[in-house]
Order: sequence, then C-alpha cells, then structure tokens
Amino acid sequence: MPRALTIEDDTVTAGEIVAELTRRGLAVDWTTNGRDGYERARDGAYDVITLDRMLPELDGLSVVTRLRESGVQTPVLMISALSDVDERVRGLRAGGDDYLTKPFSPDEMAARVEVLLRRPGGGPRETALRVADLEIDLIARVARRGGVELELLPTEFRLLEFLVRQSGQILTRTMIFEAVWGYHFDPGTNVIEVHIGRLRRKIDTPGSVALIRTVRGSGYVLEAH
Amino acid sequence: MKLTDLWRTGSSRLLLVYGALFALWCVALIGVIQWDTRRYLSNVVDLKIDHISEYFLKIDRARLPEALAVTESLDLRDVISHGLFDAQGNLIEGNLARIPEGMPLDGKVHALENGVQRVQGHHPVRARGIAVKLPSGELLVFVRDTSVIDTVGAIIDRAVLWGLPLVVIPGLLGALLLSRQPLRRVRAMETAVQPIMRGDLRRRLPVSPRRDELDLLAGIVNSMLDEIERLMGEVKGVCDNIAHDLRTPLTRLRAQLHGLQRETAADDPRSALIEATIADADALLDRFRALLRISELEDLHRRAGFDDFDLAATLRHVVEIYAPLAEDKRVAFALETAEPLPPLRGDPHLVFEAVSNLVDNAIKFTPPQGRVRLRTSLESEGPRIEVIDNGPGIQACDRGAVVQRFYRGAGAQAEAGQGLGLAIVAAIAKLHSFRLEIAECDGGGAKVSLLCWAAEPAVA
Repeated sequence: MPRALTIEDDTVTAGEIVAELTRRGLAVDWTTNGRDGYERARDGAYDVITLDRMLPELDGLSVVTRLRESGVQTPVLMISALSDVDERVRGLRAGGDDYLTKPFSPDEMAARVEVLLRRPGGGPRETALRVADLEIDLIARVARRGGVELELLPTEFRLLEFLVRQSGQILTRTMIFEAVWGYHFDPGTNVIEVHIGRLRRKIDTPGSVALIRTVRGSGYVLEAH
Repeated sequence: MKLTDLWRTGSSRLLLVYGALFALWCVALIGVIQWDTRRYLSNVVDLKIDHISEYFLKIDRARLPEALAVTESLDLRDVISHGLFDAQGNLIEGNLARIPEGMPLDGKVHALENGVQRVQGHHPVRARGIAVKLPSGELLVFVRDTSVIDTVGAIIDRAVLWGLPLVVIPGLLGALLLSRQPLRRVRAMETAVQPIMRGDLRRRLPVSPRRDELDLLAGIVNSMLDEIERLMGEVKGVCDNIAHDLRTPLTRLRAQLHGLQRETAADDPRSALIEATIADADALLDRFRALLRISELEDLHRRAGFDDFDLAATLRHVVEIYAPLAEDKRVAFALETAEPLPPLRGDPHLVFEAVSNLVDNAIKFTPPQGRVRLRTSLESEGPRIEVIDNGPGIQACDRGAVVQRFYRGAGAQAEAGQGLGLAIVAAIAKLHSFRLEIAECDGGGAKVSLLCWAAEPAVA
C-alpha cells in the first residue's frame, strides 16, 4: 500500500485530502506543522507528499528545499492558495513536482497524486513510448497505430504524448490543459473534449480497440485493455 | 504643482485675506502717523510765529524797521519772512513782496494755501503766517515756510511706498511656501486613493505624526475603509464558503451517481435520468468553480507577476485551442490582425483566460454556419482586442449587468453556461486596468472588446 504524507495546517482541507487519498487506497499520515512534516518526510519512507505552501514554523517552500538538499526525492505536490504564476514557478523551482491551487476538487488532487506516485525515477530519457499497438517515436515525432503512421497536428501529438506517458492514469481537463498548452486554469468541459474527440477519431480507428476512455466527471485515461 | 493650484488651497486664501488686511492696517497706521506728525509740526510753527509777532508788537514803532532787519539777518535758514505794510497794503519794510492772498487779518496763525511771494523769491512758497494790525493802522505780517513739514510728509509717504512691497512680496512668497506642504499631502492622498478606487481595499491614506486636520480627515477615511473592507470580506467570505462547502458534497454526489450509472444497464430507462442528473451536478460544479475563480481573481492584488508579453502569440494560442471547437459547431472562426502589436504588460495567462472566455462565449452563442472573429487593432491608447460574433447579441439594457456574477442576458437562457464568463473577464480586465466594452456589431451579434491601454506602472 503506497504511503502518503499530508502536511497541511487547515483541518478542513487536510480532512478532504486524507479522506480522498484513503478512499483511493493510500495510507495517509497527517501533520499540521512544517518542521514536524520535514522531520517525518526525511525519516519516513513515503511514496508521495502533499505540502501546503504556508505553514506554521517552517513554510512549504523551505520544507521542500531542505528535503531536496538532504537528498530526499519523494515526489511533492505543493498545494497553495497563491495562484500567481511566479508563485507556481517558485514552488516548482524549490523542488516541488506539481502545484495545485486552493480551492481544488478532491478528484483533481487525487489524480495528480496518482500521477506523481507513478512517476518513473530519473532513468535515461525514453526515445519511444508504447501502449498496446500504439507507438510514439519521440525523436522523429511520429505516432503509429498497428504499424500505420497517424497524421497528427503538432498539438495533437503533444496531447497524445502526454496521454501515453501517463497511460493508465486518470487525467483531468486542468492537468491536460496545463501539460499540453501550459495554462493553469480549468478551461471548462468543451474545449478539451473537442481536442480529445479529434485525437480519438485519429487513433481509435473503426475496428481497433479504443485506447482513450472518458472517465465521466473526472477526465480521460489512455490505456490498453 | 501648478501655481493656480497653490492659490486654490484654503491656507493660501486665508493667508491672502490676512495679508490684505495686514497691508490695509499698515497703510492706516502710517496715515495716522503722518497726519499726527504734520499736526505737531504745524503747531510748533504756529507757536513760533505767535511768539515772534508778540515780541514785535512790544517794540516801539520807530525801532521796528531796525528790529526787523536784525531778525532777518539772524534767520540763517531763511525760513521766516516778514513785511510791514501801510494801510494801503504797500510794503514799507521787509522781504515779503505783498500781503499774501486771502490772508485773514485777525491776528491768528493761518495756513496760506496759495503761498507767499518774497521780494527775491521766484515762486510762491507754502507757509503759515499771521497778520497783526498796529495801532498806527499799519499791518505787520510774519510767515514761516512750511516746506519742511511737507518734506517730512513726503519721507513718510516714501516709507509707505517702499515698505508695502517689502511686506507684501515676502508675504506672498510665504503664503506660496506655506500652502505647498498641505497641497503636497493632498496630492499624496490623491495618489493613495487611486488603487483603492480600482478596488484594492487594503490600501490606506497616509497619516503623518503631526495629527493636524488633514491627518484627522485621513484617519476618518481610513476607518471608513476598514469597515468597508471588513464588510466586503464578510460578503465574499460567505460567498466563497458556500461555494467551497457545497463543492465537496457535490463532488461526492457526482461520484455516487457515476457509480450508480456503472451499475445500470445502458438500455435501462433510468440510465437517461442518471445521465441528466450527472449533467446537472456538473453544471453546478462548474458554476462553483467559476465563482471561486472570480473570487480568486479579485484577491489578486499583486501585479508583481506582470511582464511584457507578445499579445499576438497569446491570441494565436487561443485560436489554436478554440478553432476545433468552432469547427465542430460549423462556425467560421479566424484571427484578424492588421498591424504588428506592441508588447503588452500584464499576466499572459490571465489575458489568455479572458480572451478564451470571450471566444468560448461567442462560439457558444453563434448559431451553426455563423461566424466569430477575433480581431485586433492598434489605437492611440493601446491595442484593442475584439471578439465579434453574429449570434443574438447582447441587448443594450443587459450590457452593464452581464459582467456581474450569475447574470445571464435574455438571449442566453437557452444555452448551457454558467453566466460567469464575462464576470471572469471583467475581473481580469479590472486587474489589468483594461477597459471592457460591450456593443452590438453592424449585422446584429455581439462585439465585446478589451481595450488594453498601456496601463500605468504596476502598483507595487
């Protein structure tokens, strides 16, 4: 069972996080204070950490900076009420792996935690990705399904690459929008749906097994059945 | 600071009125001094003439010419003139040419306004004099030159002439200098009030340690602002709390509905009902999401994250993302840029969010086969971004209200949407000091534009 550490001083938010992660099968420890959080994160073998940006005693930025300095590579999801772009950049630069602004939906938070849990350790960079009979050549930037090359626009390729890299994971609209287009807000249902729809028509051709699945109300997942 | 502004200040006016009164008082005081000095000197002259005439009246008639000659020789400054005239007025002895014109012959000293003419003199000189009748019927006249009194008067007049500017000019300069400080403070308050008027209620007016009347006023305004901020915070807090608190149970409700849907066979008649319920839950969640987003945008006071960015690139991004949406709805959508745009100062992510909201709305309200145009132009104030559609348009009476939370115009009722898109755009525009304009375009349809003027330097 994967272990998560939630460092969050607001009991309501912490309750939401703990409940959602527990529901998804994680063992969650919770602490309200930055210093204690840092000690536990350094000593305990956690698989993922959710870290509030503003904490008593030691703030979130310092916690993640110190963790990285002491060689702890546990993935960190930073959660903050500060949504400025530079605040996000600061959080990621300090060593955070993802950044989520309050208020967030539990689905969104859980989807991000799951992506972090599955993040591969820094091995050599892949040059090709593969799910079932779908292959992506990251160097030539071409995709093939069952050996047949797919005609994709650059955006569609980026979208497919993101889905394939996170295959098996539920990806929310916001996560997709952030990763593919670089904007940090929820664009609403339609836009991403239309883009996914187009991609789906190109890769899930009639007769082949559908790879992209819509998870109603949560997002999308690309996986082999 | 302009001079006219300085004169308009209360302290300048007070100082001016006070200065004018002071100058008047000076003039009056010097007038009194002059009048009194002249009176005193005239009295001295009169007394002297009186004494002389009394002395000569006691002298024997036969010795009178001799005494008069001695007196004349003793008058070194040549200020006393005399004359002994016979009953017909002819000069017998003395240095007066004739009996001064209009001189009363009553043995009292009088001012001789027409002057007296001396035997050797060229011009009549102003004087005071006395005419005494001798028992012999002859007339003895003594006059004393009064030009010295006039000279003293002139000296005092000159003193006024020079003294007044010496009082008034430094006074005016003092008034200018004194009124600058309060005016400077009022200007500082004006500057401090600007961000408050733009919605940054955390700002306060500057208060100096002097605790004078301006500080009192600033203090009153500041306590008013405290109260307004508290009330606004309460309203917003209630709104946010409702949105936030309802979102968690709603998310759970939706998850349960999805669970139920998975367990229901696709051909079960209840499946459609569950589907519709999920759509309603999604719409509610979207609405809360937008509400919280507006609240978050309104909290973004800091503009430190602002930077120069390429507006054209941001707009191309919008087109790239929304073109498929328009295409699916069979709506023509294109970017029209006539001229190169200068870099814009702001948060590119927020500008993207604003424009994409406008485009999203336009595509939503434009019927199939319609057309949405994203157009830019360069105006003197800065670039203008226009989103023009040929949907139903926004009625003039609705235009002010559509930017408010939850308001949806008459034409929008049939479409799905949260009615919060334009409120989000308005919040972003306000943050950037951009102007949001809603109008009707020529062929019906809505024309919403953002005038992104080169905004004033970012508020720190």
